[in-house]
Formats: sequence, C-alpha cells, structure tokens
Amino acid sequence: MEVFNIALRGIFIDNMIFAYYLGMCSFLAVSKKVETAFGLGLAVVFVLTLTVPVNWLLQEYVLKEGALTWIDGSFESIDLTFLQFIMFIAVIASMVQLVEMIIEKLSPALYGSLGIFLPLIAVNCAILGSSLFMVQKDYNIIEATSYGFGSGFGFFLAIIALAAIREKLKYSMVPSGLKGLGITMLITGLMGLAFKAFIGIAI
Amino acid sequence: MQRSNIYILVFSAVMTVLIGGAMSLTSVLLKPAQDKQVELDTKKKILGAVMDISTFDKPEEILNLYKARVKSVVVDIEGEIIATDDKGNPLIAEKVNAQKNHKIDREERLYPIYMILNELDPNVVEAYVFPMFGLGLWDWISGYVALESDLNTVKGVAFDHKGETPGLGARITEEKVRNRYKENKKIFSDAGNLESITMVKGEGITGLSMHEVDGLSGATITAKGVNKMLKEYLGCYQSFILNTRGLNGIAIN
Amino acid sequence: MSAEATVVEKELKVEKKSAEPFLSKRRKNIVTDPLSDDNPITIQVLGICSALAVTVKLEPTLVMSIAVVFVIVFANLIISLMRNLIPGRIRIIVQLAVVATLVTLVSEFLKAYSYDMYKVLGAYVGLIITNCIVMGRLEAFAMANKPYDSILDGLGSGFGYAWIILTVAFFRELLGSGSIFDFKIFEAIGWATFPTNGLMVDSIGAFVVLGILIWIQRSKSGYVEH
Repeated sequence: MEVFNIALRGIFIDNMIFAYYLGMCSFLAVSKKVETAFGLGLAVVFVLTLTVPVNWLLQEYVLKEGALTWIDGSFESIDLTFLQFIMFIAVIASMVQLVEMIIEKLSPALYGSLGIFLPLIAVNCAILGSSLFMVQKDYNIIEATSYGFGSGFGFFLAIIALAAIREKLKYSMVPSGLKGLGITMLITGLMGLAFKAFIGIAI
Repeated sequence: MQRSNIYILVFSAVMTVLIGGAMSLTSVLLKPAQDKQVELDTKKKILGAVMDISTFDKPEEILNLYKARVKSVVVDIEGEIIATDDKGNPLIAEKVNAQKNHKIDREERLYPIYMILNELDPNVVEAYVFPMFGLGLWDWISGYVALESDLNTVKGVAFDHKGETPGLGARITEEKVRNRYKENKKIFSDAGNLESITMVKGEGITGLSMHEVDGLSGATITAKGVNKMLKEYLGCYQSFILNTRGLNGIAIN
Repeated sequence: MSAEATVVEKELKVEKKSAEPFLSKRRKNIVTDPLSDDNPITIQVLGICSALAVTVKLEPTLVMSIAVVFVIVFANLIISLMRNLIPGRIRIIVQLAVVATLVTLVSEFLKAYSYDMYKVLGAYVGLIITNCIVMGRLEAFAMANKPYDSILDGLGSGFGYAWIILTVAFFRELLGSGSIFDFKIFEAIGWATFPTNGLMVDSIGAFVVLGILIWIQRSKSGYVEH
C-alpha cells in the first residue's frame, strides 16, 4: 500500500511541476502541441523510472557514508557523498543517451519532433531533482522506483494538460505582453491551484 | 573539429583526475568544519527545547554549555540503557539518525534521551529532552520535547521540519507557537494515564485542558502530524519515564 | 596542462593585438543585454525551476543568486579556457562535469560555513547543475568566445537571473509573510493586522508573480512572442 501511496503522492501532491517547479524549462518549451508533449512526457516517465532506482543503488552501495562496507569492513568511514551530484548527473546523461537511441530506432517521427529537447532531458531538473529528493526521503529500492515513476507520471499529466490548454489558447485574445510565457505562467498557477485539491489523497 | 578516439580517452582521463582531485580536496579540507556545523545544529536544537539560546553568538559558547550541562543516554523501548551497537562500538545519542531510526519497528528503535543537568549540582537533572520524528503535510517533521524533572510537566519544545508551508505549517518553529506548550501542560492525566499533548483544531481557542494547546489555523494536517508524533514517541519513552520518575531527578549513569 | 597553458598564452596575444578597450561598447552590451532585453528568465525562458523554488523568502533567494552567479561565471571561464581542447563529441558531458564540480564546491562550502542556509536550500543547490541558463550559456557563448568576454557574459546572465528571482522573492515575502529579509515590516509601521496571503507562500504565488513580472517586462521592452 505504502508503495502505491508514494506513487500517488508523486503524481498528485508532490507534483514535480506544481509543488517543486522542477522541469519547468521543457514543461514550458515543449507544451505547444499535445503530440510532442505526449512524447516528451513518456520519455520523462521512462527515464525517471530507470534513473531513480539506479541512482538509489549508487547511493546505497557506493556514495553514502559507510556504503562501501560490502567490499571490505575497513571502508566503514569512507564518505563519498561529495561525488553525489556528478555521479547522479552522469547516470542521467547516459540514460538519456540510451532513450534517445531507442526512440530514434523505434519512432523517427517522434525523434524528429522532440528534436533538441531530448538531450535536454539530461538537464531537466525533474530528473536530477527526483534522485536528490529520493535520497532525502530515505526510501528503499521499491519505494524509490515507485517514487520515480510517480514523479514522472505527474510531469506527464501536467505537460499534457498544459499543452491541451495552450492549443485552445491560440484562439484567445491575449494582451501582447502576456502572449506566450506570461499567460502560460498564469495558467500553470491556476492548474497548480486545482491540483491542491488532491492534498491528503491516499489509498 | 574531429579528434581521434585516443585524444578523447586521454582528455576524459585527465578531466576525471582533475575534477576528482578538486572535489576530494575540498571535501577533505571542509570535512572538519562541516562536522562541527552538524554537531552544533543538533546541540542547538536540544538546548533550544529548554532555554533561549539566541543570546549566544559564538558557536564555542553553545558547545561548552552543552558539554557542561547535558548528559545523554540511549535506551530501548523497555527503558533499558543500551551502551553499544551491534558491532560493539559505543553508542552516541547525538549520532542517532532520527529519520532512519523512525523507519525501524518501534520495538527495535534506539531512543536517545538528553538530560539537562542543574547548573550548580551536576547530579541533579533539571529536565529531560526527548527527540522525536514524524510526518507533516509535505515531508518529515521532528521535535525535541523537554519535560521537567517530574517527567510530567512540559518544560519546552523545539520543532523542525523539512518543507512545511511557510507561514502556515512552518509556524511550528516559531517561538509564539512553541510557547503554547509551556503553559503548564502535562502529559499524564491525574489518574496517571499517558494523554500526550494535543494541538486542537482552529486557533484562538480558550478554555483548553492541561493536555491541549491552541492550534494552527490553516495548517490542520501539520498540527495532526505533530500530535501523532508526540503521542507515538511519548508512548515509546513511557517505560523510561515511569522507571525514572521514582529517582526524583537524580542523574542516572 | 602545458597545452592548456599555451592556448591561454595565445589568447593573451590575440587580446593584445586586437587592443579592444577594456570595457568597449560591445562588452558592455554583453553584460547589460541579459539584464533586460535578453533576460534569461523572462525572454529566453530558461532556468525557471530554481527561479521559483527558493523564492518564498528573500534570504535564501539571495544565497541562491550568489551561488548561481558564481557557478555561471566560473563555468563560463573554465569552458572558455578549454574550448579549443574539448572534443566535440563529449562536450556536453564535459560541460556537465565542470558545472557539477562547481556546484559541489558551492554545496560543500555552504555546508561548512552556513549550515542553516544549506538546510533551507537543500536539494535546490544541486539543481543549479540542471539550471538551463548555465548549460545554455556554456553551449551558446563560452564554447565560442574568449575567456574575458565569457566572464562578462556569465556576469550578465547571472545578474539577469538574480534580479528577476529577487523581485519575485520580494513580492512573495512581502505579501505572503508580511516581512522583508525576515524583518516584519507591517508590524514595524504599526499595521500588525496585515492580512498575509497564503497563496503567495504557496507555489502558485510564484507562478502568478512571475507571470505578471514577465508581462510588465515584455510590455516595456516591446518583445512579443508568436
């Protein structure tokens, strides 16, 4: 149950976009069309579900204080936490590369439309953010995977919803200074307000 | 400009050595200062539950005060003192990680207790500080609850949190809210049952019993989290409290 | 190392030959453009994540701004110094590695000397790595420009980012907590009953404040997005 609750929280309450503002760059830039938003959302779910557990293993068996004792008991005092950022980002970058190659093989059309934003997933705050939050929350590996999937799916939902709204927005009269980014920020705020209704949700 | 694979390999190797070296060096150089900060942070929170420490400017003053006035032990759920961990190393109460500890079964947890000693007579305990841990609205909350030497009256509390909403749930760290626990609140009923202290729903409520404090308007879930944390952990410390009450404030060794 | 040194030397010679004034008009523009007309947040739409997360109060925002300026300036400098050495195929990972190292340094220093801030900023310091402004400037500017120009560019983008998030933080703290730098301003002027706005301390407040800020800024600069 707890595992489901973690995923639920990740999707609705601790939503990467609305609660933590993570992944905003691609959220704003790739949300003009539902189709591309769908592709990017899927890629994020996939990358997050993979990287969070991998980074969990890394943290548990390499980085944290005393993590290396599985090699030899005398390594107990070694603390490699200072390598955390660079190791996590390296894992993420390679995972993104992997996803990029898979998408290029399977769906060249999607690959074309995602364009520059696929490599940008590597610098998508949501991906690194989930891994860092996962460490702080002290999850076990199943919970970590569930958390990774949940945050990814939360991002997926948010970006599709925004893209759908923006497609309709084309027919609205928006003051010229507000066009584009400005109105999108305000809409995101309102969507966040709606998501607040989910606080306290649990199975 | 296309470079050979050898060049790329050598370049990566040199980069790795340089970057790794730079990071290890800073980490090693700053480690003592960081450890001191973490230690200071814990000790500030423990002392903060019983006295106002904002008047101290220098970290050394706090550390010295702590050294002179605080004695710590670790007990189990039965209230028995545990001296060493599984590997036989001495257990240090300040090093017990409350978050990790919280995830373990409550029977298996380590329960650190800090005794604040009398300024003049170090054999007399003035207050007991009990660390606790729980969940708020967004993330974890933690607390240090200090009881008078009668182990019933609350002397003070200090709360900390990871990400409660500023201005709402985060107010648990404010002095105004913390002082509400100081108004002669008791954790045991007159009949001797553990009642804990409950934050009521709503704010500005009058006619509260000795087990209730005024609530946080707009932060009901955080208040519930605090209540649950207090109830759970005071329950865990109950054996120790009952065992120790007979000692009338004599410091245990 | 020696190869790097010779490149630096070459740079210096070129600098001397070109004899461009220390603060020529072009260079001034490198610094001032990102402050308004080409602002990384409001115009280029970069680096929004961290822009919003830490802006509930001014103090953490200020620390965050300083950290970002530091990282962006030094990352720009280092990448610019190495730009002729970095193999094109692995340049992204090299840039990431440099940024990650700098961020680790910032985080370690914060932990050692300002532990309270370290706790407040938490994971968000680490997220400077993925701040698109930093990576964007490295890829778009530092890879193709001289070290000194790159420093200026870093300063410009860094401050362009800083003033926006400080403004957002100013309004969020003022309206949400009724204070400025934790100083209870409304109580000080005798208006203790000032109704603080809960939305402002919530994430929603950040979106709205930034949205309005973008509106004002774009109306002033006349920039219209299509």
